[in-house]
Amino acid sequence: MIRFILKRLLALIPVLFAVSVVVFVLLRTGENDPAMSYLRLSGIPPTDDALADARLALGLDRPVLVQYLEWLGRAVRLDFGRSYVTGAPVTDHLLHYLPNTLYLAGVSLLLTLALSLPLGVAGAVWRGKWPDHLTRRLAAIGVSAPSFWLGFLFILLFSVKLGWLPSVGSGGPAHVIMPAFSVALMSMCINMRLLRGGMVAEMSSRHILYARMRGVTPGVIVGKHVLRNSLIPVVTAIGMHVGEILGGAVVAEIVFSWPGVGRYAVSAIYNRDFPVMQCFILMMTVIFVFANLLTDIACAAIDPRIRLDNGGKA
Amino acid sequence: MTSIPLPIVRRRDPLLWLALGILALLVVLAIFAPVLTPYDPNAIDLDARLAPLSGDHWLGTDHLGRDVLSRLMAGTRVSLGSVLVIALLILGTGFVIGSLSGWLGGWVDSVIMRVCEAFMTFPTFILAMFLTGVLGRGMTNVILAIVLTHWAWYARITRGMVQAVKSREYIAAARLAGGSRLGIFTRHIAAPVLNQMLILATLDVGHMLLHVSGLSFLGLGIQPPTPEWGVMINDARPHFWTNPGLVIMPGAMILLTVLAFNIPGDRLRDRLDPTLAEGR
Amino acid sequence: MTNRLSLYRGVCLCLALLGVLLRLDAAEPIVYSHFANAGPLNPHLYSPNQLYAQELVYEPLVMAGPAGTVEPGLAERWTVSEDGLVYTFYLRDGVRFTDGEPFNAEAVVKNFDAILANRARHAWLELANKIASYRAVDDLVFELTLSAPYYPTLNDLSLPRPFRFISPKAIPASGTTGQGIVAPVGTGRYVLAESRLGVHDRFAPNPSHWSGVPADADVLVKIIPDPMSRAMALETGEIDLVFGHGQISYDVFGALEKNTNFETAISDPMGTVAIAINSGKSPTDDRRVRQALQHMVDKDALIRGILLGTQPRADFLFAPDEPYADVGLVPYEYDPDTANRLLDEAGWHRAGNGGFRDRDGVSLAIDFVYIGNDAAHKALAETIQGQAARVGIWIDLQGVEEDLFLRRQRDGDFGMIMSPTWGPPFEPHAILGSMRLPAHADFQAQSGLPDKAGLDQAITRALESTDEAERAAGIARVLTTLHEEAVYLPIHYTCLFSAYRKGVLSGVRFAPGRTLIPFEDFRKPGSRP
Repeated sequence: MIRFILKRLLALIPVLFAVSVVVFVLLRTGENDPAMSYLRLSGIPPTDDALADARLALGLDRPVLVQYLEWLGRAVRLDFGRSYVTGAPVTDHLLHYLPNTLYLAGVSLLLTLALSLPLGVAGAVWRGKWPDHLTRRLAAIGVSAPSFWLGFLFILLFSVKLGWLPSVGSGGPAHVIMPAFSVALMSMCINMRLLRGGMVAEMSSRHILYARMRGVTPGVIVGKHVLRNSLIPVVTAIGMHVGEILGGAVVAEIVFSWPGVGRYAVSAIYNRDFPVMQCFILMMTVIFVFANLLTDIACAAIDPRIRLDNGGKA
Repeated sequence: MTSIPLPIVRRRDPLLWLALGILALLVVLAIFAPVLTPYDPNAIDLDARLAPLSGDHWLGTDHLGRDVLSRLMAGTRVSLGSVLVIALLILGTGFVIGSLSGWLGGWVDSVIMRVCEAFMTFPTFILAMFLTGVLGRGMTNVILAIVLTHWAWYARITRGMVQAVKSREYIAAARLAGGSRLGIFTRHIAAPVLNQMLILATLDVGHMLLHVSGLSFLGLGIQPPTPEWGVMINDARPHFWTNPGLVIMPGAMILLTVLAFNIPGDRLRDRLDPTLAEGR
Repeated sequence: MTNRLSLYRGVCLCLALLGVLLRLDAAEPIVYSHFANAGPLNPHLYSPNQLYAQELVYEPLVMAGPAGTVEPGLAERWTVSEDGLVYTFYLRDGVRFTDGEPFNAEAVVKNFDAILANRARHAWLELANKIASYRAVDDLVFELTLSAPYYPTLNDLSLPRPFRFISPKAIPASGTTGQGIVAPVGTGRYVLAESRLGVHDRFAPNPSHWSGVPADADVLVKIIPDPMSRAMALETGEIDLVFGHGQISYDVFGALEKNTNFETAISDPMGTVAIAINSGKSPTDDRRVRQALQHMVDKDALIRGILLGTQPRADFLFAPDEPYADVGLVPYEYDPDTANRLLDEAGWHRAGNGGFRDRDGVSLAIDFVYIGNDAAHKALAETIQGQAARVGIWIDLQGVEEDLFLRRQRDGDFGMIMSPTWGPPFEPHAILGSMRLPAHADFQAQSGLPDKAGLDQAITRALESTDEAERAAGIARVLTTLHEEAVYLPIHYTCLFSAYRKGVLSGVRFAPGRTLIPFEDFRKPGSRP
């Protein structure tokens, strides 16, 4: 187990390295000019002198390879430089915003699981009856609706018309409801379908048939045998959902003015605040790799047949 | 294995028929949008801005007095067009790279798979957002970003299928019969695999459309005044408080279109699942 | 260093919190919103320090009054020598920074040291280039000596940055503030009590403000980056008011004006939204084409259409009620016929029926550069494109990213470019001064004028003149030339908005400048409905 985790963590290093190289090169090609961005964001008129000064100050006068190595040298010490906009260390700001995003994403993930499990089970147990039809219709719509659009509908309904929930910012628990729900809906629906499909397939499988013939009560069958086996694809999918939810959170942060990394990163992308962009994408990589790792461990916990050393993958 | 169960359409499935009907309508709209729109979708008329629904403007006008109905119709063309290009490019890239990997095997395979894994590490939307940020905004870069973030998934599936087919007896037989490697590949492997991938791609179209509109909504995607639905929502944001309809209508179009793609897609998936499971 | 700094901040914060706890009778905070946090609140630097916050915490020697006048600030009175070179300021007695340090001539000197150690950064402001020396004459007398006369000295001193005063204890040991400050400690009406990144800033009243009438409520500034969310927050009562320029869209303001539940107000003009036309580049190097552009824009329709009539039409680069700006010019009226005639005379003829004009096989196309993200400028550009098409001019819209905008402005790579002015107290002198700098769009736009060098000299002479009449005549000549050469296409004057729910606030008013929000006059009676 520990060997597996270590191995996966070690595998993260070449990935981060490759990502950082690609990002670094991309940010210095095309119309990208960090010196010009720096001057604009600092509000300094871009005279030739100022441009030359900025190039020198940002080390842009040296070969790209040297620049990269210097950047790398600082990055391994978690120093990603200073934001062109605020002049503050990038790491500080991103780490400041990160908990808010993780909070939103975490609540979304909880919502996803808390709602998709009972609904998925209900769909499978009452297969072909009204709960099944209802949840399937809901799921069809849920996976097709753009989350940002749902966000606007929620604001219109619950903030403007009904006045129940605050429309912007973070604060009390009431603030997180609408953004989390708009982020969670898509994953919730996918999960619900996955669980229902898995359970339906499992219920018609041979060993369940035998169990039923042996006279095991339906409640025990569903709870003990069917659900447990059908949960594996659901847990595997959580890794994917984490990605979807993080992507959704970025957009929801814009719609709801939620003070998270997504909002910060999007404005950095608008502004071409290069140090922030670099740090953001690396941070996302780490989070996503960790999420997948946790998922794999969870899978192994549920199903002893999966041996972690093989990764349980094709 | 080589033939795809095409008759997915059952008679007693009104929802499916409805979806296919909407899809047909959308395709017609996309092709004939320039002829069908009642107004020029980009024509500005400041005296008629933010007009309510009326006989002149069935769905009202936006903040520059542009006819919303015309823009929604023209948006069909942009959205379907961009998604079509994206799907074909992803399919092409994924297929070529995946086939190379699966057919050649060895170090080529492992290198390609490592690269794929690197790409699959990222949440697609966040990576696409970042790429449009770096490459610059605009339709071409959106297409490029989405292709770059999705090809790896297709390459991996293609590789799996190619490997599965490669080990079949009839391939060995064909080889024994003296067929050239390329000949065997194109005749016995490429065609069936491509067939399946095509179906997989149609399953994904809705998802890609959500990506395109999401990026455009963030202002990182397709740029105004192009009448793309995500752009329209972004344009309408400042007016949401006074004219929420301008946000609701383009969003409803996205929902409808994605639904129209997803419903037949789901039916197809239901049909395909057993065969795909067999291949694994 | 960092530790000491955070310790210092911690102590300040604790004191502030204690203060908040002790004021049990404190009124509810006034809830405002801004697109970003106040920043490090360095009084001597620019972005990301937010102007409104710098205004709340720091004070100048002299304050901007209406119509270009100045009023006493930290200096009670002042004298100017005959030759216009020596300014003597008599400082207010008994003023203290919020950390208890006395505000005196020595503190002023230390601040000037800190500011001028970073002089290159302030080169856009002519006063920074003109300061020859300064000294503390005695504890409460400060003397400033210039290298050449410069009439707007007092105006420049009243600006929100950089000539404002921070406690000498908060200036780093290096003696310069160019790399940061120890803590934001000023003499102003408010102190920064709490700053939560991306969430809010809280300003508490300075109980010992020299005016003797401290503000009675905290100001809570929520961070809301986008105007739509701000409008929602106002509607749902999450914020008390919107105030300023660009806080909400014109449409929302228009709707609020009609809504009887809200109190709204529009300020006097504070700046001009103008388009600079490049006289150094074909086809706009021809004065007739530039004049045709002036005549073809239907500003009234534009203002009615996209600004909902909330902003007044601008006929000139500077509003005539600004100092030296009323020089009796004749506006270019909306007159498509004249525009057509001018274009015909310039040799640009309509090819067929109703199409775009051309000359010698080249069609009449002008590129119009603006920042693509700016919704208001985008709508304006799109409208002008439509109006220009009616007289046969093709406007090639180029909504570019900000980097590119700046570069094209600098390189003169534009036919037309958005060029809003900064409003009082910068006008007209700071704008005129910057017209001489090649990095500004103004310089590039004027580069094709027959006597650009002469124009620059005339600006310098006017700014340095000590004779009121001579100065007025000089500025009048410059403004007349610019108007006749039609290098600027003024569209509308910019006014600030304020809006709040009736009964939530009282005493809301505008200050003379664009950046100061006089929160201390706003009252929040009782609790919210």
